Amino acid sequence: MEQFATLVRAKDNKPVRYLIVDDSIFARKNIAKMLESFGGTVVGEAGDGCTAITEYERLQPDLVLMDITMPQMEGIEAAERIVRQHAQAKIVMVSSVGYQENIVAALQKGARHFVQKPVKADVLYEVIRYVMGDEVLTPQGVGAGA
Amino acid sequence: MSFFSEERSSELKDLFFESAAELLQALNDEGLKLEQRGADAEVVRETRRTVHTLKGDSAACGFDELSTLAHELEDVLTPEIAARSNGKLAEIVLQAADVFSAMLAAYRAGEPIPAPVSLRDQIRELVDKPQAKNIVPYKLSGHFAWTEYEQMAIQQALLRGQIVYNIALAIDPGCPMKAAAVQLVRNVLAETGEVLAVFPDSSVPPEQLDVIEFCLSSSQPAELIARKCRVPSLISDVLVEPHAAALAEQPRNHIVPTAESSDDSDDVLGLADTAADGGGIDASSAAQNSATGKLRVDADRIDAVLNLVGELVIGKSMLTQTLSEFEKRFVKDPLRVKFADAMAFQARVLNDLQKSVMKIRMVPVEQVFRRLPRIVRDVAKSCEKEVVLQISGEETDLDKTILDALSEPLSHLVRNAVDHGLETPAERLAAGKAAQGTIRLNAYHQGNQIVIECADDGRGIDSYKLVSKAVQNGIVSHDEAERLSDTEALQLVFHPGLSTAEQVTAISGRGVGMDVVRAVLDKLKGTVSIDSKPGIGTTFLLKVPLTLAIIKALMFRVADRLYAIPLASVVEIARASGSEVHRVDQHEVMQLREQVLTLIRLRQLVKPGPMLASKKIFVVVITLGDRKFGLIVDQLVGEEELVIKALDDDFVSTDLVSGASILGDGSVVLILNLSAVIARLGKAPELTEAVTA
Repeated sequence: MEQFATLVRAKDNKPVRYLIVDDSIFARKNIAKMLESFGGTVVGEAGDGCTAITEYERLQPDLVLMDITMPQMEGIEAAERIVRQHAQAKIVMVSSVGYQENIVAALQKGARHFVQKPVKADVLYEVIRYVMGDEVLTPQGVGAGA
Repeated sequence: MSFFSEERSSELKDLFFESAAELLQALNDEGLKLEQRGADAEVVRETRRTVHTLKGDSAACGFDELSTLAHELEDVLTPEIAARSNGKLAEIVLQAADVFSAMLAAYRAGEPIPAPVSLRDQIRELVDKPQAKNIVPYKLSGHFAWTEYEQMAIQQALLRGQIVYNIALAIDPGCPMKAAAVQLVRNVLAETGEVLAVFPDSSVPPEQLDVIEFCLSSSQPAELIARKCRVPSLISDVLVEPHAAALAEQPRNHIVPTAESSDDSDDVLGLADTAADGGGIDASSAAQNSATGKLRVDADRIDAVLNLVGELVIGKSMLTQTLSEFEKRFVKDPLRVKFADAMAFQARVLNDLQKSVMKIRMVPVEQVFRRLPRIVRDVAKSCEKEVVLQISGEETDLDKTILDALSEPLSHLVRNAVDHGLETPAERLAAGKAAQGTIRLNAYHQGNQIVIECADDGRGIDSYKLVSKAVQNGIVSHDEAERLSDTEALQLVFHPGLSTAEQVTAISGRGVGMDVVRAVLDKLKGTVSIDSKPGIGTTFLLKVPLTLAIIKALMFRVADRLYAIPLASVVEIARASGSEVHRVDQHEVMQLREQVLTLIRLRQLVKPGPMLASKKIFVVVITLGDRKFGLIVDQLVGEEELVIKALDDDFVSTDLVSGASILGDGSVVLILNLSAVIARLGKAPELTEAVTA
């Protein structure tokens, strides 16, 4: 895997805390691995939208990676509900190209960004840096990986 | 879109669905015109305007698939393309109307949106031939050619001391999800300021976009905006420049034709309005409606008013009754006259009120007639016939509920007329007729009823064939068949499971349908009759009451209970003595002048059992369709306008009663459902009176 400059939270220099929502455990582990390579911590995982909401409430992560098609509650609805409760929530949708309308819908409902499956680490890294904006730093002072 | 609250946007969507239905109807009409008149530039423009409005409205509601498709269609709606398309364009427009309608249905039901692949391909085919795509690929220098309307919003923002930026964003060509990219950029910009204008507007398929331009008013510095816009992997290049006032002076060398640009501003109405005057954000169509003094009202609200009026009518007859008692008791009281005057005045106003409310429910028959040309065209095409459709009386008003219910039967009749009624051009020529068949639709008032005629000049119904088929299917016996008159034979058309078409086609002739037509008319307290002459044509007459809510009724008593039937179905009232009643085939009949009437003893409804042979009887002669029956009643009460109260299914387990009403003295009268009563009591070989003739 490529090397990425570690991302830390600007406010306390601690690792960025992530919540991964996807019904496929494989997809979750895959993304988790990437996030860890960026120096982040995966604080929680959820396999469906309902769990995602409760997990968000409990963990208050810095960023959520949300799959679109999931059982019980779709990612869009979960994202919408989370954003309704927490306007500052940063949610990045994860989906394949075929679900473009869903992504547009999710963006309209408050998701901040999206990455397409299969997720590429460098794209995800850039997206996270973009979405987190000033809230993350690369303490090494090295320019971002990509 | 997200600038509307949820409630607001659902209201907006309702409005959209309504207006979209009208637009689709217009599109159907225009498609037919295009087909007839070919590349008439005016018709093409008209069609284009319709599609454009649909595009704008659907985009405003966030129905992107629909607006995208509408946009693609809009692109091909030019007189040039129409001219070289050889009628293909009309076909595409009509198909598009169907696809749009399917999409709308899907949106409404929240189902997945059908992908209009074949239509899209056909549209592309038209466009691709001579010129490349309509979308002009431009370099990232930025056009910033805002429309007049948009410039106004820009000026307003500048006056308020805001910084206005022109922003051009190059979308990464490798980005596979441009729609999402555009949405993301919109979100980002909405965070940094207020988007005053976008080009191209939201309805351009994002897949065709290379560059998107925005005009943004913001308090943020340009660098920050530029940084925000540089979305990784989506936006490859960003240009942010302050909007110079001088730019506003630039002539609008727009890619969009000028005729359209004023409409275009509709698309940003939601955005620009707040900047312009802070006035109410309203859908363009709603604004148009209020401008023409029209109001969209939920039918339920009107029904509520109507219901109250009904209560008032009951109240009136209560008062009338009290007044007559009062008069009897105080014959000389001078107050009596005053009372009567006040009553008369109140009755008159109430009558007007009732009429006005009824009038609200009335809509022109045109609403249904307008759907028929398309049906005629489609059927004619599929069975290779030439048809002209003549429509008259479309301005006749009818209760909306009734009209809606008539829509299906009418489409069915028209379809039948083209498919079965009319001959092929070759057959017509051979019979010495014009190759082109004619279908006439007409609507007019007749007393308290509306008559809708559907006539064709085709081959007519072959009653011999009809009867043989009926015999073959065991619907009538051979003996009965021989005694059938022509009119009676034609009635067989309405029998379920009978079709004379030699071939069952996809359009009609499956033997279902005509019985449904009659069922609908029965339900509406209407009738359907046929007149057919071999070789000359067939006419169907549909008669329906003006309204369902209040009927004129004849009231009578049977076994001390009060009943009513619609006055419209009463032909006459006769008196007869017991000796005139004869029994034939377990049915009582009597001769009334030249005719033999099947008699029905309503008393049997109440308590079945042996009949008392009374000396004198009242016979109420009614018609049902083309047939007459005599109802034997005990006592006639009189005529009255009855406000029909629907009966709850829980209360009534019979279909013999279609409603009830309350009289002034508080007594309840049941309104009989004649077709059900006759089906129950007159149960007989359908054509009883012929048997004894």
